[in-house]
Amino acid sequence: MNNLDSDLPTPVILTELEKGVIEEIKEHGGENIDRCIQCGKCAGSCPVALAGFLWFNKRFIHALTLGIKEEILDIPSPWACVSCNKCTEICPRDVKPFEVVFALRRVLVEELAMPTLTMEGLRTLYEYGHAVYQTTYPETRKKVGLPEKPPTTLAYPEALEELRALLRETKLGEIGLIPME
Amino acid sequence: MKFGLFLGCNIPLRRPDLEVALRYVYPKLGVELVDLEGASCCPTWGTMPSVDLAGWCSVSARNMCIAEEKGVDILTVCGSCYGSLSETRHKLLHDARLRDEVNRMLGEIGKEWRGTSQIRHGVWILYKDIGLEKIRKSLKYTLDGLTIAVQPGCHFLWPSEVYVDKERNPFRPRVLIELCEAMGAKAPDYSTITDCCGTGGLRSTNLEKSLKLFERKIKSIKEEVDPDLVVTSCSSCLLQYDGSVKTLKDKGRINFEIPTLHIVQLLAICLGANPDQVAGLAVTSPEEVIKKIRGEE
Repeated sequence: MNNLDSDLPTPVILTELEKGVIEEIKEHGGENIDRCIQCGKCAGSCPVALAGFLWFNKRFIHALTLGIKEEILDIPSPWACVSCNKCTEICPRDVKPFEVVFALRRVLVEELAMPTLTMEGLRTLYEYGHAVYQTTYPETRKKVGLPEKPPTTLAYPEALEELRALLRETKLGEIGLIPME
Repeated sequence: MKFGLFLGCNIPLRRPDLEVALRYVYPKLGVELVDLEGASCCPTWGTMPSVDLAGWCSVSARNMCIAEEKGVDILTVCGSCYGSLSETRHKLLHDARLRDEVNRMLGEIGKEWRGTSQIRHGVWILYKDIGLEKIRKSLKYTLDGLTIAVQPGCHFLWPSEVYVDKERNPFRPRVLIELCEAMGAKAPDYSTITDCCGTGGLRSTNLEKSLKLFERKIKSIKEEVDPDLVVTSCSSCLLQYDGSVKTLKDKGRINFEIPTLHIVQLLAICLGANPDQVAGLAVTSPEEVIKKIRGEE
C-alpha cells in the first residue's frame, strides 16, 4: 500500500462475512459494483424508482457494498426491474447497475428467495421452450391465417429435447427449482 | 438480403398478427426471411438471466447457433429478444472464460457458438438496409394528415454498447420518428419519449404500479402530442399499450382511447396488407385509423 492510500480514512470496516456479499455479487456478474460512488444517476433514470418502489438500483448497490444481504432477501423490487438498462447507459462510473441487480437476483435464487411467477416462467421454458406461454395460441394463430404451431420448439420436439438437455446442464439443473425429468 | 426470423414468444403466441405483418413486409421490400426452426425463448429476463449467467448465455447461444448454421444474421422486432440476444452476444465476444463455459455446455448437445451471426432489430433493417427512399416508393397508402406518438422501447436504445446499430443520441431517439415521417405522418418528439411503458418484471411484480407508470406516460402523450396512433418498435410495448389503454379507460382513469400498432404492422397496412390479418388482434381497436389510412371514411 502506498502512502497516499494509507492516509485515506476507511469509512466502513467490513467483516469477512460482509466482504463475502460483494464477492458473491461480482462472481454472479456484478463485477463493477465497487466502482459506485452513489451519485444517484441510476436512480434518477430508473422506472422501478419512478413507479414508487422504495428499493431500486442505487439503494441495492449501497446495501450490498455494506455487506448487507439477509435484510434484503424478501424485498420484491429486484424482481420489478424491467431490464431497461437506462442505468447502465447513464452511469458515469461504468458500474453497470443492471448487471448488479441481476447478480442480486442470481444470489437470491440460490437462497430460493424468488417470486412464484419466476418459477412459472422457468417451468414453461423447460416444458415448451417458451417462457411466455399461452394455451390458447393455436386458435389465436388460426384467426390470422397462420399454421397452428410456430416453427419453434413447439413444432420441433427434437429441438425441445435438445433445449431441455442444455437447461439440465445449467444451474437450473443443479439447484432443482423445477421438475426436470 | 436474407435474415433468420427470430420469433420469440410474444409474437407467435400472443400477437401472431404481428408475425403475419413481418412475413408480409420484409419480402415485399426485397428481404428474404428464413425460419429458425427449433428456436426457443430468447430467454427473457425473468427466466435464465435471473438464475445463471452462463446458463442464460448458453440458451441464447443455442438460438444464435441455429442462425449460424444457416449462415444468416438474426432479425427480431421484440425488444426483449433483441436485448437478451445482443447482450449475451456481447458478453460472449468479450469474455473468453464465459465463452468456453458456454461452449462446453453447448458441446453436450453437439453445438458450438462461433459468433458469426449478428443480432439485428427489424426496425434498423427498415431504416438502414432497406432505406427510407425504397419504403416511400413502395407505399400503397401514405400517412398524410396523421399524427403519431412513437414508443421506441428501452431495448431499442440501451445499453447502446451491446447493439450493432446505435441512435446518435440514445436519449433522443430519431429512427422511429424518421420512419413515420417518411411514411407521411407527423411524429413529434415529446418529453417522456424514453420513459418505460411499465411492462416486464414491473408488471408481474406489481400490476398497479405498472399501470400508474403507464398512465403517467399515456397522459403526457395525450397532452403533448394528441396522436391518432401510438407506434412502437417493441412487441412488449405493443402488448402493454394495447391492453392498458383499455384497462385505464374501463376503470375511468382516462377518458380517451389511442390505438397502438407495431411499426411493422403499420407498414404492412400501408403496403396494402389485409388489416384483419396484420392487426386483427388488437384490444384497443385501430379500425378508425386504418379506415383513415385506406381512405375508407
